[in-house]
Amino acid sequence: MSAMTTKKAISMTRLLPLVMVVVTLLFATAAYAAAPGITGLTFSLTAQAAYITQPDGNMVYSWGYGCTSTYTPTFNPPGTKMPGANCPTMQVPGPTLIVTEGQSITVTLTNNLPAAAGNTSILFPGFQVTATNGVAGLLTGPTGDAPTNGTVTYTFTAGSPGTRAYYSGTQSDLQVEMGLYGAIIVLPDPAKAPTCANANLAAEQANSEVDYRLTANGAAFDHAASCYDREYLFQFSEMDPVIHTQAEQQVAAIAHCVPSTVRPCPTSLDVHTEPYHPAYFMINGRSMPDDMDTNYAAQYPHQPYNGNPHMHPGELVLLRIIGQGRWQHPFHEHGNHVRILAHDGNLILSATDPSKLAGPLLFTTTTTPGVAMDGIFYWTGKGLNWDIYGHNPNSSDPLAKLPCTPDANGYNTGSPGALNYYEWCPDHNKALEKAPFGDVAGNGPVTLPDSNILTNGAWFGGSAYLGPNATGRAVGPTGTTPPSGTIANPPGSEAGLAFMWHSHNEREITTNNIFPGGMMMMMLVDSREFQINESF
Amino acid sequence: MRKVYQVCVSVLLVCFAIVAANAQSFRVQCPLTTLMHPTPPSPASPNPVGGSIKCQQISGGDGYATMADGTQTYLFAFGPLSGLNDIAKGLPGTQPAAVFMTPYDPLAAAGSAASNGAVGLVPDPEANGAYTGHVDTREVMDVGVMNGNMPAPMMAIDEDDEFFLTLSNVGMIMRPDLFEQHTVHFHGYPNASSFYDGVPDASVAINIGGSFTYYYLAPDAGTYFWHCHITPPEHLQMGMVGQLYVRPRQNRVTSGSLYAGLVAQQSDPRTSCPNSGPGTTGITTDILCSTPLPPSNSVTRTTNKSGNPTLYAYNDGDGSTAYDVEYPIQIHGFDPNFHFVGMTFNPEGFADMKDKYFLLNGRSYPDTLNSIGYQDSTLGPGNSDFVGQPRGSSAFYTQDADGVQRPSQPLPTLINIPAGGRALLRISDLDVSEFQTLASLGIPMQVIAINARLLRDQAGNNLYYNTNSITLGGGESIDVILDATNTTLYPAGSVFYLYTPNLDHLSNDAENFGGLMTEVHIN
Repeated sequence: MSAMTTKKAISMTRLLPLVMVVVTLLFATAAYAAAPGITGLTFSLTAQAAYITQPDGNMVYSWGYGCTSTYTPTFNPPGTKMPGANCPTMQVPGPTLIVTEGQSITVTLTNNLPAAAGNTSILFPGFQVTATNGVAGLLTGPTGDAPTNGTVTYTFTAGSPGTRAYYSGTQSDLQVEMGLYGAIIVLPDPAKAPTCANANLAAEQANSEVDYRLTANGAAFDHAASCYDREYLFQFSEMDPVIHTQAEQQVAAIAHCVPSTVRPCPTSLDVHTEPYHPAYFMINGRSMPDDMDTNYAAQYPHQPYNGNPHMHPGELVLLRIIGQGRWQHPFHEHGNHVRILAHDGNLILSATDPSKLAGPLLFTTTTTPGVAMDGIFYWTGKGLNWDIYGHNPNSSDPLAKLPCTPDANGYNTGSPGALNYYEWCPDHNKALEKAPFGDVAGNGPVTLPDSNILTNGAWFGGSAYLGPNATGRAVGPTGTTPPSGTIANPPGSEAGLAFMWHSHNEREITTNNIFPGGMMMMMLVDSREFQINESF
Repeated sequence: MRKVYQVCVSVLLVCFAIVAANAQSFRVQCPLTTLMHPTPPSPASPNPVGGSIKCQQISGGDGYATMADGTQTYLFAFGPLSGLNDIAKGLPGTQPAAVFMTPYDPLAAAGSAASNGAVGLVPDPEANGAYTGHVDTREVMDVGVMNGNMPAPMMAIDEDDEFFLTLSNVGMIMRPDLFEQHTVHFHGYPNASSFYDGVPDASVAINIGGSFTYYYLAPDAGTYFWHCHITPPEHLQMGMVGQLYVRPRQNRVTSGSLYAGLVAQQSDPRTSCPNSGPGTTGITTDILCSTPLPPSNSVTRTTNKSGNPTLYAYNDGDGSTAYDVEYPIQIHGFDPNFHFVGMTFNPEGFADMKDKYFLLNGRSYPDTLNSIGYQDSTLGPGNSDFVGQPRGSSAFYTQDADGVQRPSQPLPTLINIPAGGRALLRISDLDVSEFQTLASLGIPMQVIAINARLLRDQAGNNLYYNTNSITLGGGESIDVILDATNTTLYPAGSVFYLYTPNLDHLSNDAENFGGLMTEVHIN
């Protein structure tokens, strides 16, 4: 790579997005997340049964919310940005409802669950909900439950911005376990939202990346400290397959029951929800590795949402995290801390200066059932004491000699089109390796061992450095990983830094006793050489 | 047990004979100087302003721990391969470079450099006999095989230190069927590099017979922790978890107010906290900054109850995290069925994992109180007179592959607070199956930090709060201060308890009155 001419190197960079598309189509390795959902003032939802799929091959009988067949939802991001966007009649989690602060929202729910399941409903904690047309429910009031084949209408005002959960308020121990939960995102009123600098937006545009944020102005709340560059929604839940099997069998038994005088048919389910032994631990209804497949992937018709975050250095990434189900999960973000902005849509501000945040900084954002958190994460490599791009001032490769001009904060932000946009300049050109054999700076602190004593991971970018150019210079174009194309973070095209984001109750990163699986995904920090395309 | 060793040793020897001399690639890395730290610190002042170079070596392998009901529990475990004398005393095994690069001598005087140096270090014949990190594999295997510790060797560094951590994978002698790699994940490190993050899927993992040196510039002060990241539900349950904390620059303030010391940190973008955040151009507030300047004050550094300069948990700028004594406490749970299956060549199940032993620093009550310690002997070679031999106690050691008994659980959790003093508890949880609550009967816990970050809002207000219980899931840490400054309420001689209100966790498997409990003594 060091011998590569300038022209070739640049054209290679320009070609990378195309190369990536091809790689993606071939291996389905790159599938990005965003926070897709449906938007509008009125939503027509249904509760129905279907089977969701798990990576051990099991099809699990579940109940979920979906869009009624006569309702044509509006998608955000729209289908033009995210091809394949759809809202089936049942999905787990339910459709993410995206609304705007101050709007009056109407949600009509039709109960198409099996008759044996009885009534169902939706709770919208955090909103003043008026329920009409339904029948009496324990938590939803005198007319708040939808009877079998009946409907109920909920109206409320989207009072304040933020991420919140919604879920069934009827026989919740069973219905939430079966999959009746989802998320509602309230976007700030554009008239109240702050003006965000959107510095990273210019860099995205310089690299032909599309803005996938749900908001027009880039703030999560009516607060200047809530500006962000990317966003992802993660809903955590678990399943005990025994409960689902019981429900499936009893529904079938009741439906096919022939009554006799001595043995009348049961009319309702008697599913035992205790003792509780979950075996599936899911993010957005999918277990690893399925969660890293695309949004709206055809192979998961009832689990449209994924968990596959990507970002560039310096981007502020908004995490919308919801605990569904019934257990807590210590969700550990490798790579950096998360600043919690809000709980259940309630912004946490300083008591003495409301222009300042007061939420905690967490490397483990424990999810709790019914609790939603908004938080901001970033990664810059600040303070590593070595150049993450492997720059080498003595190289003949111009990409190895990119300048780094520190702004007031120490970052290279002068040129949004720079491949090392947001590089941490105080570490620029600082070597990691003492005597590297590749085209990276030498005389650093460590000697990397013979790679024969190491085992490479599927998401290993091929070198210690960030990006294909640096990896190519350090160890050759295929890196020290297995043959290119068979891995999830190829040295020749992506070579990102992969950080595992997972439940730290580690047995939950298994799928029905199989490791790896469960609540696990990879956050990829990609150099600007790699185009992040959330539409996959 | 002894017989099992012999069988396994022969199995291992056969393995080594087959793959011959090129099967290992052990070495350590610990430069005495770097570009950042060109001048070695004087031995009298190992923690200079500006930091220094610190090093540590660990083995990745297996071992046994003794549970409070007497059960020998099999571990996948890390063991110390440097700082052996400090580890045996319950101290962090991290050493200044000059100490680490002194070859380990088991017969050296306790506390000497040679008693804490790197195991296996020998002159490099290819460098005219200089110490370059070249090691004698036999010594690494002699000491490293079967020397697993629970929890894993403790690490402690200071802000601005460069830390070189060498992991040498010595294999698991009880499981010759396995070819397990190991890694080190520095849990909670901000702006981590994925290469040194220890996630095998995202980086490299170290095969048996290999050494790998992790390199980090110390991150912001705080209570972090570390663990292996290979098959985490297995390797963490089996015991590959350890403690790690970073001490603040504020410990090196020698004159002026602590506030002025924190202000001085703002002049360097790397150590500046309120500023230097991504977001916009121009000076911007770092959204991940945890130590904004507190209200202006003139608090200066004083002395603690021992008469030494006071130490702090964080760069608070107002002295609010001062403490007299500190106790790192790691919470863990062991499922004896899983450990038995893990020892017996069978595949483990994960969904039904159920912990029956609940551990503070690798021990359950009443072993948490056992602070007999380990003898630092210079009596001569031999099985019974070796450094690390427990002093009059039959528990908490394991006989290593070389026949020497070394500490397996060197850390008591008996908390001794000088009357009128303040104790910092650095509490981390690496249970892999359930949440754990730790309660204080008597002295309230003042929570000063969560997840290695000071509880302070961006306007500079401390958000500390008092509580009598904290709850942690696996992968979380909390710093609390037990404030016994009120000697009327907490007079010398009084005893308080730290215990779990998860009452089923107050047991040692079938044995009642055990588990997650220890005592706080006011002295």
